[in-house]
Amino acid sequence: MDESRAARLVETALLCYPARWRRRHGDEAAELAALLIRDGTPASSIAGSYLAGAAREWLTPRPGRRLSMAVGALLVAAASLGVSAGLLPATVPARAAVTSQHHAPAQCQPGSPEPGPDVTPALAHLRVISWETGHGRSC
Amino acid sequence: MAVTGRDDRAGQDVLRRVGEASVLILISLADGPKHGYALIQDIKELAGVELGPGTLYGALDRLERLGLIEPLPADDRRHPYRITAPGAAALRVHLESLERVSAAGRLRLQLGGI
Repeated sequence: MDESRAARLVETALLCYPARWRRRHGDEAAELAALLIRDGTPASSIAGSYLAGAAREWLTPRPGRRLSMAVGALLVAAASLGVSAGLLPATVPARAAVTSQHHAPAQCQPGSPEPGPDVTPALAHLRVISWETGHGRSC
Repeated sequence: MAVTGRDDRAGQDVLRRVGEASVLILISLADGPKHGYALIQDIKELAGVELGPGTLYGALDRLERLGLIEPLPADDRRHPYRITAPGAAALRVHLESLERVSAAGRLRLQLGGI
């Protein structure tokens, strides 16, 4: 995966966090992702870890946050990342023939399309171990 | 119901339910402040565990809410964290608890002849 595409995937995952979290950690999280990608960690793993973190962040009860708002945000987040990941296999062959491409980054906005059936294999590559409350699991 | 000595010790162990990632972060911070990337590298070296960045930030927020760590002034875009006095005390209690369980496990393996 080229650098800009990897960065876009991670940026999309970071957009799935609540604004409060992004104001606090957003810049540092993007820099951390860049360092991990430089070290050889797959961007899809990093994006998957951030997406799982965003889900936990939305599901953590906070004063004034409604459950429906959290569920809606998670659905939009999953759809957005699914679209980003789904674009990857489709664009790889095209890169050989086209010298420059531009894809607008998928945003965590209401109305993002649902992930298609080809999304699952791309997401199946997520490998970073994610630990939550003592239970090891792969996300 | 009477509280036994064992239950009392367990009750003091606030790290019992925070998850292993949080414990590893506290252990990593025990020898000095670190920012996110340094924490991931140190924990990988220390325990052979590669924490995902999403897991890292979730654990950092949880530990900060519990008052066990605190952020230091940002160094460029990086925010170093340091362990607080209550964090160090909680880590000590938790490690002692792990040592007791570990010793009991070794003893039982020995007694069982396995």
